[in-house]
Amino acid sequence: MAHVDTQVVETITKRKVELVDCDVHAQATEAMLANYLSAPARRLLERYGRRTPRVTDWYPRARNAGMRVDAWPGKPGHIWGSDPETTRAQLLDEFGVDYAVLEVLSGQDCYDHPDFAAEWNSAVNQWQIEEWLSFDPRLRGTIAVPHEYPSLAVAEIERCAGDDRFVAVLLPASAAEQLGSPKYWPIYEAATAFGRPVAFHTGGYVDHRGPGYPSFYLEYHVGNGIVMQSQLASMVAGGMFDEIPGLRVVLTECGVAWAAALTWSLDSAWELMREDHARLPRRPSEYIRDHVWFTTQPIEEPDDPQHLLWAIEQARLGDRLLFATDYPHWDFDSPKQALPRALGAPLRRAIMCENALALYGLPAERAG
Amino acid sequence: MDAIDCDLHCAPESYEALFPYLNDYWRQYITEAGIRLNGLPHAYPRGLGGTAPSTYDALSEHVPDFAILNCLTGFETHRNAYFAAAVASAINDWLREEFLARDSRLRASLVVSPLSTDDAVSEISRVGEDPQFVQVLLPVRSDVPWGNKNHHAMFAAARERGLQVALHAWGRAGLAPTPSGFTTTYMEDYLGNQPIAQAQVLSLVSEGVFERFPELHVIMTECGFAWLAPLLWRFDKDWKGVWREVPWVKRPPSEYVREHFRFTTAPAHLPSDPVAVDQLLEMMDGSGMLVYASDYPHEHGDGLPALLERLSDAQRRELLTGTAAELYGLSA
Amino acid sequence: MPFVRIVVAPLSGFPDGERRIVNVGGRSIGVFRVGSHFYGIRNRCPHQGGPLCLGHVLGDAVADAPGSARISSDPLRIACPWHGWEYDLDSGQSFMGPASPGVRSYGAGVEPGASLLEDATARPEMRVPGPYVAETFEVTIEDEYVVLHT
Repeated sequence: MAHVDTQVVETITKRKVELVDCDVHAQATEAMLANYLSAPARRLLERYGRRTPRVTDWYPRARNAGMRVDAWPGKPGHIWGSDPETTRAQLLDEFGVDYAVLEVLSGQDCYDHPDFAAEWNSAVNQWQIEEWLSFDPRLRGTIAVPHEYPSLAVAEIERCAGDDRFVAVLLPASAAEQLGSPKYWPIYEAATAFGRPVAFHTGGYVDHRGPGYPSFYLEYHVGNGIVMQSQLASMVAGGMFDEIPGLRVVLTECGVAWAAALTWSLDSAWELMREDHARLPRRPSEYIRDHVWFTTQPIEEPDDPQHLLWAIEQARLGDRLLFATDYPHWDFDSPKQALPRALGAPLRRAIMCENALALYGLPAERAG
Repeated sequence: MDAIDCDLHCAPESYEALFPYLNDYWRQYITEAGIRLNGLPHAYPRGLGGTAPSTYDALSEHVPDFAILNCLTGFETHRNAYFAAAVASAINDWLREEFLARDSRLRASLVVSPLSTDDAVSEISRVGEDPQFVQVLLPVRSDVPWGNKNHHAMFAAARERGLQVALHAWGRAGLAPTPSGFTTTYMEDYLGNQPIAQAQVLSLVSEGVFERFPELHVIMTECGFAWLAPLLWRFDKDWKGVWREVPWVKRPPSEYVREHFRFTTAPAHLPSDPVAVDQLLEMMDGSGMLVYASDYPHEHGDGLPALLERLSDAQRRELLTGTAAELYGLSA
Repeated sequence: MPFVRIVVAPLSGFPDGERRIVNVGGRSIGVFRVGSHFYGIRNRCPHQGGPLCLGHVLGDAVADAPGSARISSDPLRIACPWHGWEYDLDSGQSFMGPASPGVRSYGAGVEPGASLLEDATARPEMRVPGPYVAETFEVTIEDEYVVLHT
């Protein structure tokens, strides 16, 4: 009888990662988050609800209540984006998403008392862990923080940073002060110390100051890109990138095509005013190049798609763009069709996957 | 140089210079309260060109074929709407007496109170027939965006007299100089005009202003223009989704913008790569929306020569004179 | 390709305001009833591939001046459930500017069972999963049927 070597063969199949979605919305109901609050905070919520109006209360989303019509979970107690099973079926499975980065905006109000703000954001993060990150290995989280109270925000980052599934710290794109203000630098320093980028997501509480408040959601929504331009100018001019050399920021859901024009205006102004800016020894464009990433949704759609490619090349964003769907919102960008062919296969691959893997340090293969 | 300068500045040196045009109550109000003009150091920073000329003699050498005078002094008025209206009238009279009457090459923006549509309409009625006033001047910053329905009577009054409307950088002390909040550096103040201008473009189109006033042109002055094409890509895209909110916007927003907006060339914040300048111009459908402006005395760097270099002779003539001549009904 | 009639449902089982989505040779097509009119339109938005026929059917919004808006029932529009891009429910034409392509539309109407039983090319729809699962049914001489022309 012949001797046969037996060998245990690893049969776990690995799948090459091809699609990372860098902006997916999970949305918690008050009841869902109440479970994670202390008794006094829960009592406060019971008595007053969320006392700050949501931005949708003054700019009603004019189409489909702001959501994909077909994304309604149809389950008792659930709202758009609250049910992981629906998201898994409609997004992860439907499009073959390998990693999806959740951005839960429920914590972003800036007019809460610090005690409540801290608890509320912790609740958002615990809910993410228990209901989402533990639900599907393709999901990644972002750390919600009470950004108007930087020391509390830093504490929340410290609390959550041990969980590798949190890949970034989440802030809004509008706050009580401009986001380049030194007030917020401790948050950026903490995120950087824990190896996390800071994702600024369109929205937040205080907008439209210089031009006044517009009348329509159309203006508000296009204006999200305008506000982010202004914030990026604040970040550059205020010197935070010089102060925190390792800082990486992700401008989320604000468009990408304006980046070149903003860079030209910053560089032109810097030529005239550089002696006033001790904290800007380098050209603004260089700080943007080194520190700033953009998610793609809602991708601009010029009549000639070649113009989008030009806009990306002019701002040297080829390795700085991160694909995002914004599921389940109405302006969802489909992984199959949102990026025009004119961008070419290598650039599309970089945007759909490679840039995000590099930024977030995600493995290029996953169990399939 | 053959040119029509669409943004040449002048400003009274002090309120006392306006006293001949203010009544006794306002003269006493100014004196008693110790109100002084601060010379708009943001619009005319000492380090970047300095103060606007206050006399015709100081200005005259800077006038090419034609020039549109923009006096921003009214941008300094406060929250007292009655004072703002009085100052606006005084500035218009000062412009007529001390500048327009002395030089047929000069035209001016008619200034109005930014605080009251009623007052703006009255002032347009009072002096708007004067052919040397060619447009109504508004600050790009606003309590409520300029397209808002509360401002439409002002646009109607302007169009009845064939006037266009210019939105000029700066203005409205007390408002944040950006859409995202207060700033800590001049660079942010300076660049903040550009995102605010973008918000005004959205407002004027979304509110149906150009459906109501099909002959109206809006001249975005000292607000840049390199941002325009990407803004319109997104504006058109969003309009396709949510046009039902504004069903009076019957065509893609970019069509209204190309027909009704013009942009002055100071500042021209352009890429250093000439190929990118060509791309930028192509994305804007050429240079036809641009009109020359010196913005004297404000210095903006060397963007304009870099722009002119990339244009054909015909395009350059159009930018320097043709488009503005048509806009304001000027002829050599 | 030969003209094919697809029997979508008995008229009695297709009330006003309802829609059915059928699969025809790999194409997903929505059939809509508005009053006594039937419309057929491809269930795929040319913009980003959204399931067009899951969207809302809306009357046109008309405004002679800012603020004076009203809804006109003619023509009807189908709005994509994703971005809300709209198409004429009858013709599939886009209204989103010259660069925006339209979507394929199909004739749909009511026909008596007798004529369908005589026509060898007529066939019942395939079952489709999703929110609008069709019943299976038999075609009889006496009844009327909603038919899609593809």
